[in-house]
Amino acid sequence: MGALVQPVIAILLGLVIGAIAIAIVGGDIAQTYTEMWKGAFGSFYFFTNTLSRATPIILIGLGTTLAFRAGFFNLGAEGQMILGGLCAAITALYLPGPGWVKMIAAIISGIVAGGIWSAFAGWMDAKFRMNLLITTLLLNYIASLFAGYLVSYPLKDNTGSAAMAQTEMIEHSAWLPKLFHGMSLHAGFLLAVIGAVVLYLFMKFTVSGYEVRMLGSNPLFAAYGGVQRGKLMLFSMIASGGFAGLAGAVEVLGTQYRYLDGSLSTPGYAWSGIMATLLAGSHPLGTAAAALLLAALQTGGMGVERNTEVPLEIASVIQATLILFVSAKISYSFIKRKKAGAQDGSIA
Amino acid sequence: MDQLLDVSLFNSALRMVTPILLAALGGAICSRAGLFNVGLEGLVLFGAFFGIVGNYLTGNVWLSVLFAVVCVMLFSLIFGYLSIHLKANAIIVGISMNFLALGLTSFCLRAIFHVKGAYYDKDMKGLPQLDIPLIKDIPWVGGIISGHSPLVYVAIVLVFVFQYFLFRTVRGFRLLAVGENPVAAKSLGIKVTRIQYGAVLISGLLCGLAGAQLSLGQVTMFTENMISGRGFIALVATMLGQSNPLGVAASSMLFGFMDAISIRLQGFSMPTNFTNMLPYVVTLVMMFFFKNKSYVQEARKANESSR
Repeated sequence: MGALVQPVIAILLGLVIGAIAIAIVGGDIAQTYTEMWKGAFGSFYFFTNTLSRATPIILIGLGTTLAFRAGFFNLGAEGQMILGGLCAAITALYLPGPGWVKMIAAIISGIVAGGIWSAFAGWMDAKFRMNLLITTLLLNYIASLFAGYLVSYPLKDNTGSAAMAQTEMIEHSAWLPKLFHGMSLHAGFLLAVIGAVVLYLFMKFTVSGYEVRMLGSNPLFAAYGGVQRGKLMLFSMIASGGFAGLAGAVEVLGTQYRYLDGSLSTPGYAWSGIMATLLAGSHPLGTAAAALLLAALQTGGMGVERNTEVPLEIASVIQATLILFVSAKISYSFIKRKKAGAQDGSIA
Repeated sequence: MDQLLDVSLFNSALRMVTPILLAALGGAICSRAGLFNVGLEGLVLFGAFFGIVGNYLTGNVWLSVLFAVVCVMLFSLIFGYLSIHLKANAIIVGISMNFLALGLTSFCLRAIFHVKGAYYDKDMKGLPQLDIPLIKDIPWVGGIISGHSPLVYVAIVLVFVFQYFLFRTVRGFRLLAVGENPVAAKSLGIKVTRIQYGAVLISGLLCGLAGAQLSLGQVTMFTENMISGRGFIALVATMLGQSNPLGVAASSMLFGFMDAISIRLQGFSMPTNFTNMLPYVVTLVMMFFFKNKSYVQEARKANESSR
């Protein structure tokens, strides 16, 4: 329970700062927060909406959780998610076969694409000592520009009248099924929940999971114990990128049904996922809960925008202060690492 | 647009170098004091935003630059307080600073200007362009060097100021000592935390200037996330230059030049997606060629808990 104290305090502080921001804008604090609650959980429809928004955030959060736990700052979730979504869309469009084959192949190709993109950064760090934090960030821009090029020129949807940079619509049979009739929640949410549980069990009960945690908490001890840093780094980066790619794939197959330029990066899923990881101190189940919280803040912010004078950006202000308050506390678990002479690009 | 390299290209390159150079100098000062400042991106974004806000409130360009600098210094104090005082992980604090900058600027954009995404006012006056008396008459050179906003010249002067400060003054040596080995510095009676706070404040000042140059230097406008990775490119420039002001200037020049080239190439009917990619790709390539062991050790030094 002690682990929960800090996030709860941070959430309260975040809400206080949010209240100050609301007051500055001239809104009614109680009314705004009521609308926020309604917008996130007010009805079954809004509740499922929040869950479907949480889906990609949970998946990305799980990926960054794994990387952070192993001591690697993977900030490339955005690019990995975009390439995952793009490859899923391409696979679902151009692979012959029945719908369910397309769907499964698209999901797998999304995971692979994200994993490869992430592994590329890991490989550059392991082989050439190029700082992982920076390379993953730079690869984000390259990935999103490249995907933007593909859907603006060679893969552009020219069937409709809409002049948007997007691929054609994926056929109906390859869509991820909805969980409830008439709601936006799709089967991707189940994948996210399963992923969270599996990652939790992996970290807690397997040898590799122990090696990951060991490398993250004390690289020297891990090296002494025979853990190969380069190998484990590649593995955790591939897995981490795979989660991000899966997030992009389920978003494309379950919500958008096509790859639309900017549709994955504009809502800021990737950054919310990284925030969720920071908020939960890289704990898999905690990350899922934090992702749900952030998604609720965002959908609640939309409710606030609809019904009050307060802009929806209030949600981003609360999110950022949350992270700032938590980051001040996170440090203590890393102080042990500081003595370990951590490698560049790793947490220390 | 029939040729790639001409006077206007170099002229715009010099203009685009400035924000990167200022931010990278800020990063260099921080890393010399033993702090790895990932929050550059957010600080520059704050600078750009508050430059516009100051201009909106006062209508005076100089006051708005001052306003931007003061605001960004306040935010850099938050970074300093969390990472120096509370001993939080500087990288995580830096990342959260970037989040804070994104959230707060877009919120304030709505709260102050009631617009979404971008603010543009055609009546707003930006920074004046200075013509340097003698130099502007030299053919070719004059066309490149003269006629920029004052911040461009400030940035160039600051490179030499910091070079002198770091390697020729007692205070500069103390700063180096703090970054080199905080424990040893502390044992000599150097006020480590005070020097680190100073470094953070200086980097805040520089990022404020960088942001002001971006939002007031060319066109006076602010768009959400208008920094688009320049802060991180500045971080790379800091590393490549090995936190040495002259080296940082050289690497920033390269990145600014790439920025200018990428804009110029759009005139050659290349898809903008590829031209926009150029600065990031070149940054990656430079990281590959100029990896040096010293900054690895620097990162290590930054990691020894000692305050």
